[in-house]
Amino acid sequence: MKIIVLNGNPDNKNIKFDNYLTELANDLQKKNHGTKIFTLRDMNINHCVGCFGCFVKTPGECVFKDDSAEICRSVVNADFVLFSSPIMMGFTSALLKKANEKLLPIFHPYFEFLNDETRHIKRYKKYPPIGLLLENNERTDKEDVFIISEIYRREAMNFKSSFSFTRFTNDPITELAHEISRI
Amino acid sequence: MKLAVFNGSPRGKTSNTTVLLDNFLNGYMTNYGNSYELGYLANEKEAEKNIELFKEADRVLIAFPLYFDSMPANVKTFIESLEPLCLRSGNPGIGFIIQSGFPESDHSRYVESYLEKLAKRLGCKYSGTVIRGAFETIRVPFLIDNVFHKIFIAAGKITNMGRVGHFFNTKKLYKKIYRLGMTFGKTGEFDRKIVQQLAKPEKLSRFGSCLFRFVGKHLYWNILLKRNNAYDKRFDTPYADQ
Repeated sequence: MKIIVLNGNPDNKNIKFDNYLTELANDLQKKNHGTKIFTLRDMNINHCVGCFGCFVKTPGECVFKDDSAEICRSVVNADFVLFSSPIMMGFTSALLKKANEKLLPIFHPYFEFLNDETRHIKRYKKYPPIGLLLENNERTDKEDVFIISEIYRREAMNFKSSFSFTRFTNDPITELAHEISRI
Repeated sequence: MKLAVFNGSPRGKTSNTTVLLDNFLNGYMTNYGNSYELGYLANEKEAEKNIELFKEADRVLIAFPLYFDSMPANVKTFIESLEPLCLRSGNPGIGFIIQSGFPESDHSRYVESYLEKLAKRLGCKYSGTVIRGAFETIRVPFLIDNVFHKIFIAAGKITNMGRVGHFFNTKKLYKKIYRLGMTFGKTGEFDRKIVQQLAKPEKLSRFGSCLFRFVGKHLYWNILLKRNNAYDKRFDTPYADQ
């Protein structure tokens, strides 16, 4: 299984978060799952400016060249994508959101009506299921986690795949690795 | 009332959000004594200034387009910069306007829950969230030069077919937003009736969906694709490993 981890931790002093991901990746490698972590804060990624160039000028590719092309390529060829971020002001980081928005080129401009909702059609045959890994803080409550999870559930609907789980960085790493390898 | 308005569109000044806010603020300013300051959240150089605007306002309005089911990253950056102000006494009241390209308001309800919680987290009195779908369609009439397309749009305006025809009646839409701004200028609250009207349709009918998809495909995307000589490449899959 090819696994992609998007590390949305913006703070290089938050070593605990990065270490959790590194150990998780090691655990998955041991189970023979190729795992790649994208440390988003170290990458050159522009903000999506909503120009729709990836829809109508260079279909499938962002007109502004940056490191997000590498993420797009990895995501469409992966078997699982883990979105990960510390919770900041009740949501995932702006950094993770910035990278998420730069996935627009992997979708198609045309619409379809799916489960009673307008959605963009697929550009690729298949998209990977996704999971969400969060780091709690003292202000996080159940409602926050519910709201974030619902929005990422919709991200899985954009992928037309499935939403596997919401997990936390205080969950045992082996358990999470086990859960991912069963997908 | 001293209002701080934040335009959260990554497209900045040339955005649909700007068109929406222009109409809202024209209405807002009809009330004597009102003033506002405008901050652009896509402009990272203004980050410090925007925090100051927030601190000094009686009320705050944040308007943004829906990006991947929530606020654009630059709006989230701004929200993160407000963390030190959580539960500060004297925080302004706060309201939001979301406009989406998708026609149904349903898409914006999830981030609406987040925004309501955000107001609580900041300790700001929550004025509510205005939601309007299909806002990208305001660009469609400018693209149309084909007679058939013109007739199609005219018919849409008159009949409001499939509950989506009204998407082209921008005059009526802008007037509603103007009136929303006017009552907000007087009371500091969103007029609930106008909010309800703007949020329609919450969901599309099957027929409405067919029309919306037709308009989206033929009167928007295909016109743009052909103009850019990219029509033949529209199904390209540059990242597929073969």
